[in-house]
Amino acid sequence: MGKSGNLAVAAALAAVLMLSGSAAARQYTLGGRPIDVYGYITQGAGLSLHDDYYDTEDDINSAITNIFGEMNYSVSDNFKVYLSGILTVDWIYEMKHSDKSWRDREFNKSRDKLFVEDEYWQLLKEAHFTWNPGDFFFRVGKQIVAWGETDGFRLMDQINPLDQARGLADVEFETTIIPIWLIRAEYYPQLQVSWLQDMALQFIFNPNADFISDRRIRLGNDKAGIWAPNIEVSKNARLGSAIEHLDEPTEFDDEGYEYAVRLQAMAWDSLFSLNYFYGRENSPVEVSEGLPGTSEAGDGKTLLHLNYDGYYPLLRFLGGTFTRDIPVMNASFLGGVAPVLRLETFYAFDNTFATSDNKFEQSDEWRWAVGMDWKVRIKPLNEKYFFSISPQFYHRKIRDYPHAYDYSGVEDDNYLASLMISTSYYLNKITPSFFWLRDVNNRANMFKYQVIYDHTDYWRYTIGAMFFNGIEKTKGFDVFENKDYIYFKISYRWS
Amino acid sequence: MKENTVRIICCAVALIMLSFITPTGAEEQYGIDYSTWEKYKSFYDDPSPYLTGELSWKKVIPPAIYDKLKSDPEEMKKVWAEVVGFKAPEVVGKIAPEIKPGKYSYADKEKQPFKQLMDEDTYNRFNPGQGPHAGNIPEIEVIPTKQYYYPLPIAKATKDNVGNVKQGTDGYLIDDSYVAGLPFPRPSGEFKAQQAVYNWEKKYLAGASYHLLQRGMGFSKDLKEDRVGTSTMWFLRLHGRAWLEPNGWYDERARKAGEKRMFSLLYLAPRDQYGNVLTNTMYLDPEHYDNFNVYVNVLRRVRRLSATDTQDAVGGMDVIYDDSETFSQKLSPKRYPYQYKIVAEREYLAVSPTVDGSWYMKKSDKSLQNMKYERRPQYVIELNQLDPNYVYSKRIIYQDKETLLNSSIYNYDQKGRLYRSAVMLYGFNPELGIIFTTGYFNRDHLDLHTSFFYHYALPATWISRDQVSLRSLRSVK
Repeated sequence: MGKSGNLAVAAALAAVLMLSGSAAARQYTLGGRPIDVYGYITQGAGLSLHDDYYDTEDDINSAITNIFGEMNYSVSDNFKVYLSGILTVDWIYEMKHSDKSWRDREFNKSRDKLFVEDEYWQLLKEAHFTWNPGDFFFRVGKQIVAWGETDGFRLMDQINPLDQARGLADVEFETTIIPIWLIRAEYYPQLQVSWLQDMALQFIFNPNADFISDRRIRLGNDKAGIWAPNIEVSKNARLGSAIEHLDEPTEFDDEGYEYAVRLQAMAWDSLFSLNYFYGRENSPVEVSEGLPGTSEAGDGKTLLHLNYDGYYPLLRFLGGTFTRDIPVMNASFLGGVAPVLRLETFYAFDNTFATSDNKFEQSDEWRWAVGMDWKVRIKPLNEKYFFSISPQFYHRKIRDYPHAYDYSGVEDDNYLASLMISTSYYLNKITPSFFWLRDVNNRANMFKYQVIYDHTDYWRYTIGAMFFNGIEKTKGFDVFENKDYIYFKISYRWS
Repeated sequence: MKENTVRIICCAVALIMLSFITPTGAEEQYGIDYSTWEKYKSFYDDPSPYLTGELSWKKVIPPAIYDKLKSDPEEMKKVWAEVVGFKAPEVVGKIAPEIKPGKYSYADKEKQPFKQLMDEDTYNRFNPGQGPHAGNIPEIEVIPTKQYYYPLPIAKATKDNVGNVKQGTDGYLIDDSYVAGLPFPRPSGEFKAQQAVYNWEKKYLAGASYHLLQRGMGFSKDLKEDRVGTSTMWFLRLHGRAWLEPNGWYDERARKAGEKRMFSLLYLAPRDQYGNVLTNTMYLDPEHYDNFNVYVNVLRRVRRLSATDTQDAVGGMDVIYDDSETFSQKLSPKRYPYQYKIVAEREYLAVSPTVDGSWYMKKSDKSLQNMKYERRPQYVIELNQLDPNYVYSKRIIYQDKETLLNSSIYNYDQKGRLYRSAVMLYGFNPELGIIFTTGYFNRDHLDLHTSFFYHYALPATWISRDQVSLRSLRSVK
């Protein structure tokens, strides 16, 4: 570790440790109106459980600081301004700046994108006005609109892009979903119907003020850092970073306009929605063009640099969600909690896929997912607090899947399953959890074990570990098999 | 690009200007915000009598509305004494009569027969501030017993319905027989204990519909702050309305669906909860589970919560959903039913509902100061749980016989150990005849933790379904 790296990490940790807790939550006034100010600072560290692999850095391989602030100002009873921003710095780039192993693996070359997140849209998270007159609701600005019922799969949740540039590391919500510029209008009719308890009609317009796409896990250590997938194409060659030529809509170009409508209602004690979306995929479809370039990796193997041409195709879907609890399934001896069922589905028209012979083709597709949240008491394991058990199943069906060739990255039927289990001990302060994601098609798994200790509502300590494996080579989580790691995080949250 | 930027700026300016237009027909949303409350009453070491000062209802509620809510106190006293059959000052003073009004320190408690006059928990807390729990009382002021009463419309509704409210053969209330008011102002007979619990269930805290600011703190066994909880709540009573119009059912929908009450809760702190909003609709039918939803700000989604998830601790605050307001469990013959009995009916020295709000918590030792106590006639109600799978085996409720409100509750786990308890700290507005909460504290007696809350409750004529339905869920993010 370089001297400057030591100093930088020490400074970040000192900043966290010097904070002291305010006794009570703070709301300030500005012009006689309330303004809420909140934030947090976190310092994490990731330690690899493997070494001697080209795609993995030995011992400590990330040291991410997040400084997040938000404020909500009520200009009047029905008009609010919300702003939030975040600074993300991965001090590993300073710490390992001169480290031979780090440089041999070309991780240092990903510094431009992953050391400090300094694009305006990364620093400014949300910035919106909300006007709430009578039965209407308007929100204009950089914001997040989330649809759907499942956790993690993001089935219906297609409006905002996703930031996965730091891979599957322990992430904060504020660093994962990317807010974009949207105009949102909602209408809440006054109802006097006993079975229809509530209703909301939502309309979203994306004027494409600034096209922001998913930040994907890229190929190549020089682009993706420690999360670059390990894809070995032969005994002596692996995929390196790709050269991409992506066609994206220009600002305010109507080709980038997006429209979304949702009818959400509460009826018969169930929550359901009908959704329609017309817009662009947040990730591109790409085909490889021409011969790949080559370079030599630090371990002597050849790196293939593929050339890709791609664009962000149209995404049009009609879908719906449904959720309710199921009282018949409550069992007194398990604590009497009825599980909550969550369903989500959409049918997409003429989705675009890249084929294995490097063409673009269109097919309809159907995606659906079902999940359940069930709290149960298991007295031998936890006498005082319940266990939350949340299994999910996801199916993506591609209609008219070709027989002669494949679509890249998808089969005609694609299945995922997940399981989340958590509980609490000692005044809800200690929260262990377990998460398992199963890629059924590729027979691959991701496991996450985590324990959170909330010393107070200000200080939180997290320790966890992630493990990856896969049977199908170069597919699913197999490409992360060398990236098993443990992580630590200390957080201070102020309010 | 430049033209579009101008358009966006114009739209934003137009929106800001439009925001200052109040929609036609909308009632003025009077009240205070959290920062204003902080200004007049700090969390610690602040004896400010905020309820009679700048934050008094008389100053916060518009005069036209306040005058409409007022009744003649003497008339209210008279009618309520007829309803319950006594005035509290006339039925107390029989136990330990040597304890006279005046100030007493914990050092006096062995010298005077406080042990006879206090319940066990109050007696144990009559001590200097010290662990493992916050909320001890080093000094108390015993004041003469007062008569408490309700607004005339509530008192009259109660009086008019005496004898009309029916119970089934198992003591459970027949919903159709209840119209408004407290259902059993003079509990008696075979189901006396259940009647007392139903009085609590139909209570008129802060009148009927009210706005509540809540700020709380959690304390570890060494009295260090470890939790913070700040929220704003809106309560809308949908049935048995007797004070704020409309009377009876709130609307036709409430009648058809048998809706009892709705509330919405917006979290302001801790930071991780900031912007989360809970909404809840309760139904009269005990077998019809609540409609319970939460807007999870971190997901930006409305999530349905299992309405049966009532036994797991809420956010480290020493309380389960069934413990809300001391006791909010549905009274059901099928789901975790109880055997009810009154185990004592006598006077105790209990916390006097504050009129000025001058009580406070001392920061150095987390004790309560400026605490006034008075002799109160009380029921001690024991609820024995018949299902061994429920979190508690027994609940002991102390209920005031005149206000018919719970003053404290003690919950025992299935091993018979005292697990959690809650003590209410009420306020009273003599002009309106309204009792409301000014705070409470919950304790976990097994893991040794205390959660302490201040309340600012305000009768709110403006609360409608708008504040407690789906639209209320997206208020911050």
